Amino acid sequence: MSGEVPEHVSELLAQSLAAWRVSGEVAREAAGTLLITADGRCLRISRAPADLPFRWMVDEAGRTRGVTSIAGLLRAIRGALDPGYRPVRLRVAPLPLLPP
Amino acid sequence: MIPVAVLTGFLGSGKTTLLARLLRTQQFSRTAVIVNEFGEVGLDHDLIETGEESFVELQTGCLCCTIRGDLVLTLEDLLARRDAGAVAPFDRIVIETSGLADPAPILHALMGDRELARRLTLAGVVTTVDALNGLGTLARQPESVKQVAVADRLLVTKTDLVGSGNETDGLAARLAAINPAAEVLRASYGDVDPERLFDLGLEAAARKGPDLHAWLSVDALAHHPSSAHDTEISCFAIVRAAPIRAVALTLLLEILAEHCGADLLRLKGLVNITECPERPAVIHGVQHVFHPPAWLERWPSPDRRSRLVFITRGIPQAWVEALLAAVEAEVGEVSGDLQ
Repeated sequence: MSGEVPEHVSELLAQSLAAWRVSGEVAREAAGTLLITADGRCLRISRAPADLPFRWMVDEAGRTRGVTSIAGLLRAIRGALDPGYRPVRLRVAPLPLLPP
Repeated sequence: MIPVAVLTGFLGSGKTTLLARLLRTQQFSRTAVIVNEFGEVGLDHDLIETGEESFVELQTGCLCCTIRGDLVLTLEDLLARRDAGAVAPFDRIVIETSGLADPAPILHALMGDRELARRLTLAGVVTTVDALNGLGTLARQPESVKQVAVADRLLVTKTDLVGSGNETDGLAARLAAINPAAEVLRASYGDVDPERLFDLGLEAAARKGPDLHAWLSVDALAHHPSSAHDTEISCFAIVRAAPIRAVALTLLLEILAEHCGADLLRLKGLVNITECPERPAVIHGVQHVFHPPAWLERWPSPDRRSRLVFITRGIPQAWVEALLAAVEAEVGEVSGDLQ
């Protein structure tokens, strides 16, 4: 695990727990990584090392996975913490907003 | 393109009275009507005087949950009969939902059919609210709250049955808390200016230029951001001075759809896209279904800020703000990496 997580990501994750109604907290560790604790589970979030094709690393109990984006990071964290999570895909409708 | 308006409102809130009144006016003489009744015996049909051939009654269940396919087929059939000259050449369609309907799936059905999309445009959602019983209905019936939340216009009906005072003030406050973005009109026995009621879609707003701002209702939200705490429905606006990259907007919408789903009741916005600063993009979505962005020829006013208006259930504004900031930072970082 390596790399400091920017403050705006820390803020996003804290807000995300609230939005998902997951009771927990986000704390910054000495190394700049984030520790999310919720419902007895701990997830450690860090920047991915530069030699890996990921942007973020998510570690839980020694098992680490990489994700490539904010969208992937949120999906990984919510998938771990929210058993009721059922992701919905964006659908773009054919109906135009304005007549052509 | 034929505008399609959705008329919704809880049971007994005066939808049929309104429709019957509207159809007697000159402005609505070329209107096709689709009425969805919930129950085995339809009564509303008998209460509305209109041409049989352009009146369709759906009785197979609640429009929102069981017969979306029927609605699409009905609209296709109506258009085919219009093309064949079998019905009067109507230039407007009104869909009256059942009183128990959640309007969102109906809007999805209208937005989601490729063939219909070539002929129809969504003119807006009008929701009737009973002045006498509306407050109690909103307290007891979650469907009625959603009906109010997605409305472009709210029509308070049966105003002759109540005086002024706490009762009407309470309802007004409740409606403003659920959906401050919607203009509130009042009517007794369905007596309301039809054009004020239904000329409210984006097409109308874009045509009128400055009215686009009214469509977005950002000013109303700036002064009265709302939250109806008991139902968790809130309405808020995010305003950004800096342009937003197209990919950041796409990612934002994808993440919102993925994590919010049905709780994103409605999102509409006027966005300054970095790659196309002279032509604002208009976006509009209901839950996880979005129209393709519409690109206006020019900005409707000197104000070129991006404005996103959210009507949500239990989605904190702070989360959306943080999400947009994080996505923009990531897109900026990736763009920097690539250069």
